[in-house]
Amino acid sequence: MNSELSRPRLPLSGLIAGALIVLSAFATVAQENPKNNPPKLQLNGPAPGAAPPLSDPKRPAGESVPAFVAWASRSGIKQNDQVRRTIAAARNDSAIATELCREIGEQQKTDFSRTLITLSVLGELRNGEGEKCLITFLHQPFPKEGTVANGEIVEQTSLGVLEGKAVDGLAYAHTDTGDREVLQAAGSHPSRIVRAEAINAYLWNHHDSPAARATLLKVVRTDERTFLDRPRLEPGMSRDEFNRKLAVYARLHPAPRPVKRSPHKLLLTESVADGEAPTPSPIPSATAPQAKQESR
Amino acid sequence: MIRHVRHWLALVVSVVVALSAGTSFAVCNQSSVSQADSDLWATHGCWKDFFLWQYQAYNFSSDNWGNRGWNDACNDNLEYPKAWNAAFLTTYGLLDNNDQSFHGTTDYRQLAEAPDSNFKDSVYYDATDATNIFGSFTYHWPGDDEITFSCNLFNANVLNANPASRSGDSMHEGWHGWLTEGNWDNGSAGGHRPCTKHPDGTCTNGACTINGCDYFYFHGIGAYAFGALWQTDGTAKRFHSPNQVQVEYLCDVSDQPQPWVPASVRQVAAADAAQRSAQRFINGPGYVCGSPRPWN
Repeated sequence: MNSELSRPRLPLSGLIAGALIVLSAFATVAQENPKNNPPKLQLNGPAPGAAPPLSDPKRPAGESVPAFVAWASRSGIKQNDQVRRTIAAARNDSAIATELCREIGEQQKTDFSRTLITLSVLGELRNGEGEKCLITFLHQPFPKEGTVANGEIVEQTSLGVLEGKAVDGLAYAHTDTGDREVLQAAGSHPSRIVRAEAINAYLWNHHDSPAARATLLKVVRTDERTFLDRPRLEPGMSRDEFNRKLAVYARLHPAPRPVKRSPHKLLLTESVADGEAPTPSPIPSATAPQAKQESR
Repeated sequence: MIRHVRHWLALVVSVVVALSAGTSFAVCNQSSVSQADSDLWATHGCWKDFFLWQYQAYNFSSDNWGNRGWNDACNDNLEYPKAWNAAFLTTYGLLDNNDQSFHGTTDYRQLAEAPDSNFKDSVYYDATDATNIFGSFTYHWPGDDEITFSCNLFNANVLNANPASRSGDSMHEGWHGWLTEGNWDNGSAGGHRPCTKHPDGTCTNGACTINGCDYFYFHGIGAYAFGALWQTDGTAKRFHSPNQVQVEYLCDVSDQPQPWVPASVRQVAAADAAQRSAQRFINGPGYVCGSPRPWN
């Protein structure tokens, strides 16, 4: 009786076992399928090459500046010192600062990242004319309205980040006028992005000294004093040093225990994060992308 | 007479179809490319083998990207080439430094790529002309979940229109997928915590000043083995929010890139991380990465 009852289970368990074997085989194939792995890296483009001089007696600033900025923009992290040395060599050439300033004004409305890089070069230059330009840039009217995306005004954020980079240059200049502008920005700039960067840059350029903290505490908004305590993960800092500073900060700024949603089918409003997304049918592509002959 | 009516009808139908097609085929600014995109592009020079892998790995299709460069995949003015340029950065651009990186390439790739994993359910990618979002995540059942990129990630005048911020958005939206799969409640403002409006027009939630706030569940470097970003113990000690994952990714691009990653990409990554850290965390602000030296 028992054996009769168990008979149908034999083929069933066999089927299940067989199915599992087939499935695991598929899984193994899927994991080992080279199509799941990207192709081996090939850097096909030309390397950036040697640094062109920023200040070049053989060329006007209108030519040497864009050539250098384009090179520096493509340079890798190991070339940072070379970029800085080349910029430092042009420090006394005010025509370079003037041209960088002109290009910043020209690029600001069309290319955020080019503007950011050009501001970096101008800040690193530490030239008197450059400082004037950075101050003018910092005092542009701050937009109160614009394109609202995910809770922020895009134009405000973009300008705030660029003005934050201008503040980096003013703090790095270590001049009385530069420091005065940085401290003013730390306390009263309309953008929190700029205020936060001014605090960070002032501290860094004064070696995080107690005197610098005391100076900042006189101007920083009461509700933003915590910005003075933020851990900074700097190049060359050891993991233990950063972790130690972060642990102290995290104890002062705890997050609550995460919460689970009550179990229910997701409402339509809960199924979309960061906005209302269009919902075209996810039909797998029948064709692969292709490059046109005439494309770059 | 009947033939005339038919001709008129055909003409009217053609005009209606053309007009409706014109509406649905509106696209982002297709005549500009950011310096950061150009610089990264120059390292691979439009690598066909990569984009033929990428469109499958990220589940891009001609249905969703047909009028955005699908058949012109080497034209970096267009949205699809810009999207795969960002995927190139995620796939190859990180150093994976155990002593300095927050997480590893394996984490970021699994989070961004399409297949079902420990991180999230499977996804597909599309794009929208809407400018009221940067990106969005939409849960679908049945079927793949949806990650949408907006023109704010493509139009060169916007801070976020660069390979680092674009791939950072994949991390952010992918993390909404992680929250959804784990049934975690991260808030009612598009999957984030809302802020409270004040009479002076500001909107705050703790240290957050944007309507779309997260907690920063601080963890030190080395707290997660590479590949373990998806893990949680259900407490604030081992948990992530979408903005946090995004900041950690951007800091890894900024501070722990491969030597060939261009300065423009690193600097916009640091700038995006900094503005996000300053504005979007309730128990924040978050830490800062990189150096406030102008050329970093």
